[in-house]
Amino acid sequence: MSLLQSNVPEGPIAEKWTRHKNELKLVAPNNKRKYEILVIGTGLAGASAAASLGELGYNVKTFCYQDSARRAHSIAAQGGINAAKNYPNDGDSVWRLFYDTVKGGDYRSREANVYRLAEVSANIIDQCVAQGVPFAREYGGLLANRTFGGAQVSRTFYARGQTGQQLLLGAYSALMRQVNKGKVQNFARREMLDLVNIDGNARGVIVRNMVSGKLERYVGDAVLLCTGGYGNAYYLSTNAMGCNVTAAWRCYKRGAYYANPCYTQIHPTCIPVSGDYQSKLTLMSESLRNDGRVWVPKDVNDKRSPEQIPEADRDYYLERRYPAFGNMVPRDVASRAAKERCDEGYGVNESGRAVYLDFKRAIAEQGQKAIEAKYGNLFHMYRKITNENPYEVPMKIYPAVHYTMGGLWVDYNLQSTIPGLYVLGEANFSDHGANRLGASALMQGLADGYFVAPYTVGHHLASNKLEKVDTNNPAFEQVESEVQGRIDKFLSIKGSRSVDSFHRELGLVMWDNCGMARNAAGLHEAIEKIQGIRWEFWQNVRVTGSGHQLNMELEKAGRVADFLEFGELLARDALAREESCGGHFREEHQTPENEARRDDENFAHVAAWEYQGDDATPIRHQEELNFENVKLTQRSYK
Amino acid sequence: MAWVTDAIKSSIGKKFLMACTGFLLCGFLVMHLIGNLLMYVGPDVYNNYAHTLHSQEMLIKVAEFGLLILFAIHIWLGFETNLENRESRKTRYAVKKSKIPERKIPYFLSPENYMLFTGVIVFIFLLIHLGDFTFNITMPDKLKGREPYDKAIIIMRTPLSTISYIIGVLLLGWHLSHGVTSMFQTLGLKHPKYDPMIRAIGPVFAVIIAVGFASFPIYAWLIPYDPYAAPGVEEHQEKSHSLTHSDLIAPLCSHEKTTFEPHSAWATSLNRV
Amino acid sequence: MKLTLHIWRQSNKETKGEFKTYELPDVSEHMSFLEMLDVLNEKLISQNEEPVAFDHDCREGICGSCSMMINGQAHGPDLKTTACQLHMRKFKDGDDVWIEPWRADAFPVLKDLVVDRSAFDRIMQAGAFVSVNTGNAPDANSTIVPKMNADLAFDAATCIGCGACVAACKNASAMLFVSAKVSQYALLPQGDPERKTRVLRMVAQMDKEGFGGCSNTNECEAACPAGISVNNIARLNREYFKATLTSRES
Repeated sequence: MSLLQSNVPEGPIAEKWTRHKNELKLVAPNNKRKYEILVIGTGLAGASAAASLGELGYNVKTFCYQDSARRAHSIAAQGGINAAKNYPNDGDSVWRLFYDTVKGGDYRSREANVYRLAEVSANIIDQCVAQGVPFAREYGGLLANRTFGGAQVSRTFYARGQTGQQLLLGAYSALMRQVNKGKVQNFARREMLDLVNIDGNARGVIVRNMVSGKLERYVGDAVLLCTGGYGNAYYLSTNAMGCNVTAAWRCYKRGAYYANPCYTQIHPTCIPVSGDYQSKLTLMSESLRNDGRVWVPKDVNDKRSPEQIPEADRDYYLERRYPAFGNMVPRDVASRAAKERCDEGYGVNESGRAVYLDFKRAIAEQGQKAIEAKYGNLFHMYRKITNENPYEVPMKIYPAVHYTMGGLWVDYNLQSTIPGLYVLGEANFSDHGANRLGASALMQGLADGYFVAPYTVGHHLASNKLEKVDTNNPAFEQVESEVQGRIDKFLSIKGSRSVDSFHRELGLVMWDNCGMARNAAGLHEAIEKIQGIRWEFWQNVRVTGSGHQLNMELEKAGRVADFLEFGELLARDALAREESCGGHFREEHQTPENEARRDDENFAHVAAWEYQGDDATPIRHQEELNFENVKLTQRSYK
Repeated sequence: MAWVTDAIKSSIGKKFLMACTGFLLCGFLVMHLIGNLLMYVGPDVYNNYAHTLHSQEMLIKVAEFGLLILFAIHIWLGFETNLENRESRKTRYAVKKSKIPERKIPYFLSPENYMLFTGVIVFIFLLIHLGDFTFNITMPDKLKGREPYDKAIIIMRTPLSTISYIIGVLLLGWHLSHGVTSMFQTLGLKHPKYDPMIRAIGPVFAVIIAVGFASFPIYAWLIPYDPYAAPGVEEHQEKSHSLTHSDLIAPLCSHEKTTFEPHSAWATSLNRV
Repeated sequence: MKLTLHIWRQSNKETKGEFKTYELPDVSEHMSFLEMLDVLNEKLISQNEEPVAFDHDCREGICGSCSMMINGQAHGPDLKTTACQLHMRKFKDGDDVWIEPWRADAFPVLKDLVVDRSAFDRIMQAGAFVSVNTGNAPDANSTIVPKMNADLAFDAATCIGCGACVAACKNASAMLFVSAKVSQYALLPQGDPERKTRVLRMVAQMDKEGFGGCSNTNECEAACPAGISVNNIARLNREYFKATLTSRES
């Protein structure tokens, strides 16, 4: 039944990648400069891929919607990056990182991909250190490590609470070096609005110059989509305001399959929502759980302020429920536990939608200075936003949409179902299964960009004879006119509601019905509601200004229009997956202790959706997941 | 040698030259102040110092030429960087406020905002000063044939000069209070151990220079001394020619010779009362 | 609270801009500054007016997109804070708020409060990198970096490239930005091989972009949301001096 060829190489898992690299075809050095590669997005995956391909000699063009490549949202990642270096001598290995990641992903990821990820993780750290990324160090001058959720070893490298920033700036510096050399051309303030396929291959993109408003055509021999996730479908998320699904969604509509969109990660430690004007949620790094203890009052009616509640009246529910991992359980588990307590009425804050994250013990044991050195910037940020001092009063936190494990389906080579279209980083679905462990996103983005795509893209170019095409090709003409038509449509509706109001409405439906807990009735309702919002959007949206200028409302309109289609697919996928796994929790499928219950017999597969037209239901394809190395067990952190 | 011109033309290079010339000019100020302080020892010491200094013709020429170059570079760069800095923001802000929390002086009074202005005023003062003392053009009649000490007293007792000298050196101090600290930063001389000292050195140096120099016109008014009664330069020269070296370094003996008659301006004004 | 906003409106790079005044009757003190602007924009859209364009993205103070002068101060009155992290509790009922774009000839205004900061990218392209290709790196722990230097390098590396230093400087100088990057690499052994060429090229590019010189007023340090110290500027001067005298490149 499956049309999906994962192209996982034969052989024992530890040798697959090495063997595969030996078998991949190569492009001769002096031929590389004849190829043009388009990279969409300049986050960790995009910048690292573009820089590495440029170094190899390809001509690369990068595009980002921000005003500079350095501002991609990878920059906001706080906690760290995992690598199987075993520097602390605590028993880590490639195998353990592989195993933890597969287990953490609730056995819904592709083994071979995860193993490769663990394998190259050590090289990433080497590469970043060589670039001058200032990782935290011990007094002896060697690199420092810390623990992260879902692991019993310290394998997380970090740069205070700004690891993403430092890694991205490292990749950005490598990118800038290639721009300086003329191998990469960097186009900022450009948004990809569609993909151009010629003879079944991805051969170009239509982007909008966000300053002049002009549509521009770019032709290439391969297109790398590094556009991040779709968390903003929920309106409120920890994603940047501009993060969107448009590029990926356009590719889906041009023939790429969308895999597992229902896998969304709700991060347990975010600053709670405080009002309807709120535009985004702020993450407090998971690393805080290393020293912070999560609790709620034992008594539902306890309205005392937290510092007045004695130890005996506090319920450290994570330590109580999961004694082995305690506060360091994976994100999905921690989030659901917080929701469970709040649903039962134990929640704190005016809204009752928050739990405490307490540093009292850590400060008493280690001193405020030590805590400041580890989390200073996070505490500072928390104080800025809430006007409370977390050194004195416990933080209030609540889960928020943070990362999306689903994405465009890719094979082992990171190639989508459209030949020549590669998908890297959060935009693809491959490595995290149904739940991503902390400090693994940075690892995956850089692994894809530095160490996978440069090999596999070359293989594609070497093994396919691609015809020379230019931007006058009728396919470009066709796609551009469709894009223009859509822009004209937005501007011509002249309705009465702002784009944001639709986005907010969609977000509420998504959060209520496709959030931390889902059920069939709710999902049916979501599909119906989303269709209704979409219908109204196309009748009644108001986009001010014109298309020939910098017009942020127009940009948002395009993104929200796509979220309104995408949200429905997410709900459909959640509905079809009749089990609970990782970030996808179906209330119908839980153990008596309210833990997620997987159905390995029927759902140990990737669901990949094929677009069938705007009015038709998409087709759900399956890629069976074969676990040859890891035994499927009920995930337990007790 | 393109690297030299490139470096000098760069923004950091210009600042570097600015700092170096400023530093050397500060050196000149210190020497000048020390020389002038001899006024407090006594007229003869001061006069001897002045004559000895001026007898070193070659040295004076070189020094004057050097100073001229230093001033020229410092002033030229001042104008040029100022012009360039203005060019870099042609549309000004409608509202602009400082964000420095521990600011001791309000923003609109901070010396760094007036470096060109204070520089120009100090330069004008310098011209007046040179006109008075070096080129002898402001009051040639009164000063003709007078000893340096007497000249100084006469000039500094002229009310207009008194005011311009005091304003001149106070503005110089204001200029230095930013300039000296800034110089350390520009030359890259920073270290946590010495930073508090460096932060203090600008204002302290500025106060020393400003107070030091401003004290002379005030002193000139306060001492009971009549410069017109003192012997002229020819008599003095005769005398000094007969002096031995030991006389020069033992100035106190000549000090006794000066007269303290109530001819001084101060004394006369007292008499009037 | 009620606020009177005076906001710079400019349609594009070519046209002249002007201040327009808007009244905003209920602003919650819990809002961030940008959320307050969101509310204004909602209102403008409902009146069929064009909303105020401003750069923003992460709204966590790390991406460096947001960039506006608030009552004459880059990113507003809070220290070590970007405009997106500034909260309305810093303002009082009845306040007048003046909002302007960064002003520097090297940062031309594109629209309203949006400016073009690509000059920063070009400075980075001139030398803000270590020339190592992917895949050549030795083991990460084969290079020992004293913790003190690693921490100082990190402090310099936290620059978010927002341009507040340029905006706050009376000369629109980019010295703090350039010095942060030069310092990061100068403090790490990885940056050593290209140390001299890097500083020479980056400074040359900085001058070419039309930023002003440094007058050591320290306004940049006070305006910097990442708390980059002016000590880095001293280090940049030192590095530049050393490189000028000893670089073997012409």
